Amino acid sequence: MILFPTLAEPQYFSLFEKLLFAALALTSAAAFWSRFGLVLDKILKSKQDPGFRLFPIGKRIREFVWEVLCQAKVIRERPLPGLAHAFVFWAFCAFALVTLNHCATIFGFGFLSPSGSIGRLYDYFAAAFAIVCSVSIFALFVRRFFIRPQWLGTKLSWESGVIALLIFVLMTSYLASFCVADASPSARILWWSHSLALLTFLPLIPHTKHLHLLLSPATVFLSRGSFAQIPPLAGDEDFGLVAGTDLTRLVSLQAYSCVECGRCTEHCPASNTGKLLNPKEIILGLRGYLNEYGPASAEPLLGKYNSQQAVFQCTTCGACEFQCPVGIEHLPILIGLSRGAVNTGTWEDQHGSRLFLALERGSNALGISPTERDRFIEKNALPLFDGTQEYCLWLGCMGAYDPKGREIVLALVRVMSYLGTSYGVLRKEKCTGDAARRLGNDLLFQQLAEANLQTMAENKVKKIVSICPHCVRTIQEDWHEYGTPPAVEHHSEFLARFVSQLPRTIDSGFSPDIESEGCGGFNPRIKPTAPEAALAPEAEQTTSTLRPEKIVYHDPCYLGRYRNVYDQPRAIVSLAGELVEAPRNRERSFCCGAGGGLVFLGEETGERISHNRVHELIATGAQTIAAACPFCNTMFRDALAATGDAAPELLDIAQLVARTLPQGGVS
Amino acid sequence: MKIVVAIKQVPERDAQVRIDAAGKWIEETEYALNEPDAYALEEALQLREQHGGEVVVLSAGPERVGTTLRETLAKGADRAIHVACDDLGARDALGVARLLAAAIKPEAPDLVLTGLQSEDLGLGQTGVIVAELLGLPHATLILHVEKTETGFTVKRELEEGWFQTIELPTPALLTIQSGGNKLRYATLMGIKRAKTKEVRSVTSAELAVNAAPVVLLEWVTLPRKQKSTQMLPGTAKEAAVALVEKLNVEARVL
Repeated sequence: MILFPTLAEPQYFSLFEKLLFAALALTSAAAFWSRFGLVLDKILKSKQDPGFRLFPIGKRIREFVWEVLCQAKVIRERPLPGLAHAFVFWAFCAFALVTLNHCATIFGFGFLSPSGSIGRLYDYFAAAFAIVCSVSIFALFVRRFFIRPQWLGTKLSWESGVIALLIFVLMTSYLASFCVADASPSARILWWSHSLALLTFLPLIPHTKHLHLLLSPATVFLSRGSFAQIPPLAGDEDFGLVAGTDLTRLVSLQAYSCVECGRCTEHCPASNTGKLLNPKEIILGLRGYLNEYGPASAEPLLGKYNSQQAVFQCTTCGACEFQCPVGIEHLPILIGLSRGAVNTGTWEDQHGSRLFLALERGSNALGISPTERDRFIEKNALPLFDGTQEYCLWLGCMGAYDPKGREIVLALVRVMSYLGTSYGVLRKEKCTGDAARRLGNDLLFQQLAEANLQTMAENKVKKIVSICPHCVRTIQEDWHEYGTPPAVEHHSEFLARFVSQLPRTIDSGFSPDIESEGCGGFNPRIKPTAPEAALAPEAEQTTSTLRPEKIVYHDPCYLGRYRNVYDQPRAIVSLAGELVEAPRNRERSFCCGAGGGLVFLGEETGERISHNRVHELIATGAQTIAAACPFCNTMFRDALAATGDAAPELLDIAQLVARTLPQGGVS
Repeated sequence: MKIVVAIKQVPERDAQVRIDAAGKWIEETEYALNEPDAYALEEALQLREQHGGEVVVLSAGPERVGTTLRETLAKGADRAIHVACDDLGARDALGVARLLAAAIKPEAPDLVLTGLQSEDLGLGQTGVIVAELLGLPHATLILHVEKTETGFTVKRELEEGWFQTIELPTPALLTIQSGGNKLRYATLMGIKRAKTKEVRSVTSAELAVNAAPVVLLEWVTLPRKQKSTQMLPGTAKEAAVALVEKLNVEARVL
């Protein structure tokens, strides 16, 4: 094989060739537009997104550069295939000028002369990409058709095969042009091969998932602006995503941008445990709906293409939206669909109704009398918030009524007392409305948010600290729709600021005479009976010969992905022992299964999400599981009970800190 | 089929109850729909879903009753009648029943539903008296209603797990027991639609009924809470004997 220093081009094109090319190009463009124009039309005919702000534009540009141009998320979340894809994409970008020049040469308008210095350098540059791209596309082809990873789906996509072949032909025909003489018949053949591949590829783009080539840069750029953002309802007739007429431009754009990569499904707790819900199918279902009915249709969205049952299996954990490399925002869509069902009363679920009625009638999601909360406050002599203290300690439904939630609160109270923090609890709280909000009951949510905002204003609350990431999220982001909430933070963020003042369990030694916080029956740290007390003096030495206790930290969805708080809880855990990471951690943390209001609904089908996660946590070999959310805590407690006596201990980070405190003043 | 549902706005279950200065009634507190009335409304809505017609909600009380009426409209009732009356506390069951009956009469419904009793006074009489005033046959403690050719067949709750089936002609009045149906939640769509539904106000003066109470409420008081703890000594057997004696003689619960 000879290698020529320059790219071979046909030097002369006959009139027939020029006319043929023009005709083919026009046909190709027409075929392209017939489909692309239609898709664009459907997107533009969808209704406007209420509350969408293009500015500030800096963030959008940064994200575009990072995620589209640098392919950051594509590579980071699936490194090898991601890198292969990135090479293909960068090759496309590099080839932009080559392609233009290629089509221009037949009409005599070629601007990249292969023999000129600029042209030659550019040709080499493009050739380098062509080599990398050919290898990459071949590898991706093998992956899809021979290795067949689970998340790409069971059906083989022939269109993917055709596209891969065309890309391969485009690259190799270009590279082969370095192996033939300039103006030779081979050069002409290669030129035409490349052209035919190009003109076949073009109309295929809008007819396949390769539409993302054109749409996804726009989709990433036009994101809603923040993670899991629920758009406001627009006007009296808007109840969420009920029918085609409710689909907005962003939803339609996102539906058409899906590349069917399956990353969303791969990380979905429901999909991983045998549920009907598959985030990819939700998006593709909307695409199918738009293809068949269009955005002006009154046909229900939950019908032929998507099911209500699947929608209400969503824990709103956000793994799908986080993973999506083309900027699809699944959560506003899923919550939009549940809103559509709940706001119109078409969701009939006995547990759901009971939850809503409990919230309608009373003050909390558990349906317990508020006098129980009063008793809890009185019995533990918690200070009432009177406007003079620095912090308002928000108990929340779990902190006020759930036995384990109460233990977490009392542990935090011990720590706050130790730190000398000035705080108080409100006389009356209503549920923040998280479950109502995620399940889509906007009427109930509005009532709860407004009532709470009023309480906050009346009591002059400036800063809130809460043990529950759901409360934190709802207060900070969702209450915004109805007023201005006070500043709120999670107790991990609060405690992390005082890490230097909190005792560190040196060598993380096991101190048997520290009284337990009343944790479950399998707590080895219960105050020792007489025989063990004899051991106490030796064990009191801080330079213990015992190995540090391993504590595996579970990132709650609403603290991690929703709030980007990963390091603060880890700093707290490190005070109490040796921090161990779960395989699926930080942004990839696997949901406990409670979110989206699902903890209040009936039993799950398939494997329990909490059990799946607990097995993973136990497998790390840690002696303790550290939680930072009372819902995660309750889900894991249930799953651990099913595991048996050898189960690790389960503690909230507040409890981990509280037990390192010097004794005395135990509540 | 036209159904009138008579509802009452009562203090919220966990609301703070304070006796007023005169000692004859309670101070204003937080209010909600009486739960048995919610079941009555649910029964009415289900009957309308099966047989068509109209559900009219009716309540007597001060202005704040309007909020609860709107809630019932949001749950699906077609229209509401508010009998404006600021002195409910001074009226007895007969007085209130007279107001309600006077408001219901021009409606000429096929069925009148009320809750079995109210959560505040718990008299269980108002529905029965209304039936009497309107000359309607009635049945109480109803869990299930079925429309028949000639009227209604209803399931009535007795004690010890026994039930009674009664047939009534139409029109009739039924007082509904809680728990017969699953209640529906209020929806956004419901409340938006409720904005356009009619709430007609009629004053007690317009209804021109005799308000003189035959039952006089002398005073209202909060029960005194007292607690006394006795430790019973001895063995378990001895303590048990002592306990039984105390429960029998002192506490008189055996």
